[in-house]
Amino acid sequence: MKYIIMLAAMLLIGMSSNNVQAQNNEKDNFLVQVDGLGCPFCAYGLEKKFKEWKGLKNPKIDMETGNFTFTYPATQKLTIAAIQKQVEAAGYTPVSVVINRADGSVETTKKEVEVTKKTTQASQKATITVAGNCDMCKARIEKAANAVKGVQNANWDNSTQQLTLLLSNATSVQTVEQAIAKAGHDTPNAKASDKTYDNLHGCCQYPRLK
Amino acid sequence: MNVYHNTLLVAVLLIMIGCDSPKATEKTAEATNTVPTAKWQEVERIDLDTIAPIGLTYFKGNLWIADGDNNQLVKLTKAGAIEVVLQDLERPMHLDGDADYIYIPEYGKDVISRFDGNQKTEESMEQLDAPASISVQGARQAVADFYHHQIWYNEGENWVAFGEKGKENGQFHYPTDVQLVGDKIYVADAYNHRVQVLDKQGKWLQTIGEAEKMNATTGIYVNDKALFATDFENNRVLVYDLEGNLQQTITEQLEKPTDVLQVDNRIYVINYGSKELVVYEYQ
Repeated sequence: MKYIIMLAAMLLIGMSSNNVQAQNNEKDNFLVQVDGLGCPFCAYGLEKKFKEWKGLKNPKIDMETGNFTFTYPATQKLTIAAIQKQVEAAGYTPVSVVINRADGSVETTKKEVEVTKKTTQASQKATITVAGNCDMCKARIEKAANAVKGVQNANWDNSTQQLTLLLSNATSVQTVEQAIAKAGHDTPNAKASDKTYDNLHGCCQYPRLK
Repeated sequence: MNVYHNTLLVAVLLIMIGCDSPKATEKTAEATNTVPTAKWQEVERIDLDTIAPIGLTYFKGNLWIADGDNNQLVKLTKAGAIEVVLQDLERPMHLDGDADYIYIPEYGKDVISRFDGNQKTEESMEQLDAPASISVQGARQAVADFYHHQIWYNEGENWVAFGEKGKENGQFHYPTDVQLVGDKIYVADAYNHRVQVLDKQGKWLQTIGEAEKMNATTGIYVNDKALFATDFENNRVLVYDLEGNLQQTITEQLEKPTDVLQVDNRIYVINYGSKELVVYEYQ
């Protein structure tokens, strides 16, 4: 009887340590969509910065789609916020993050596409100069503009440095300029702070507007 | 009679001085109707298919291309075919080659790899953070360190670092290419949008290209007369003399050019944007 109990105890201990090891081996899968992967030197840098996280495995960047995928130990519980921060630190604009957790749950930043109630509001077209350099700038500028309530569409052209806007009456060009300047890009009536400009990635440090 | 003869003589002389000779006329015409000077002109375009070219070198009679997106080294055969030779690299960048090896900076893992055509060996350089280019000249080597904004230099013994992050002379902002030329070190100072020239003690000598307002000077090639610089975002290659005077702006068939190389009387430019190799001849 004594030996049976000892054997049972050893089996239980063995199963328990196997469970711990299995948990440690479990990975969360991450899909991050990033805008502005036009410059390979910078895009490879994004991957490299993420690889500084010990435990990150299987990093892969698809330059065409902007998809960046990797796995990370589930026990670390890496958050969406941490990922977004790391992407922005590398100078890029995170569009969406999807985490497929090892336990089967899914976390995402993706939102359902808004019903274009915007189109029911009156639209006005405006064009403003916005200083920038590259595809990363384009992504940042357009994201900042589109985040302003009342902006229905924003499209920035690097060759002309012009941002074409479609606005409803809910906002103004001045409000959009301020939002863009806050993101780091000079406009005629609103300038980025020196600190924000200095924090832009090297390839984004455009000639300042006077 | 003498007065008449003298007058006639003076008149003849005046007529001769006043008229241009036919040869002089031709020379004048030549001076005003200038003969077009020779320029680099496109002669061939090669589709690289899915290759995303970052670096280019010439080794054992063939062009070799670093495919940064797909982490591989490919050879362009003389027939124009693309042959994948080495895979599983980690973001290979601007290459160099000598008689024995291709030197491959692997940006993703901070090593310089050497490939003899069959086998690859790695030299880890822990002091690096994203090597973007290597240049080899005998026992001398130079490496562009992207995230440290420095050039590492070695004359066969110890590595020394030149430069720091900044916009002043001798400072760099993400250097992406480097070339040893005699006693000079040429640097593609990408996000300062210029080329800088140092001596082998790291002392700044010259800056080239600021007037042309490049946008990301990603690749360079220097011969004994000219400097070629790829202007990535402006889709052009600028050609300078070694004093820094602009000689030509090449725009044909360029889309996000990353590197340039001369072999014999041709220059080769790789386009990251259109995934092409474009060939120019001096005509």
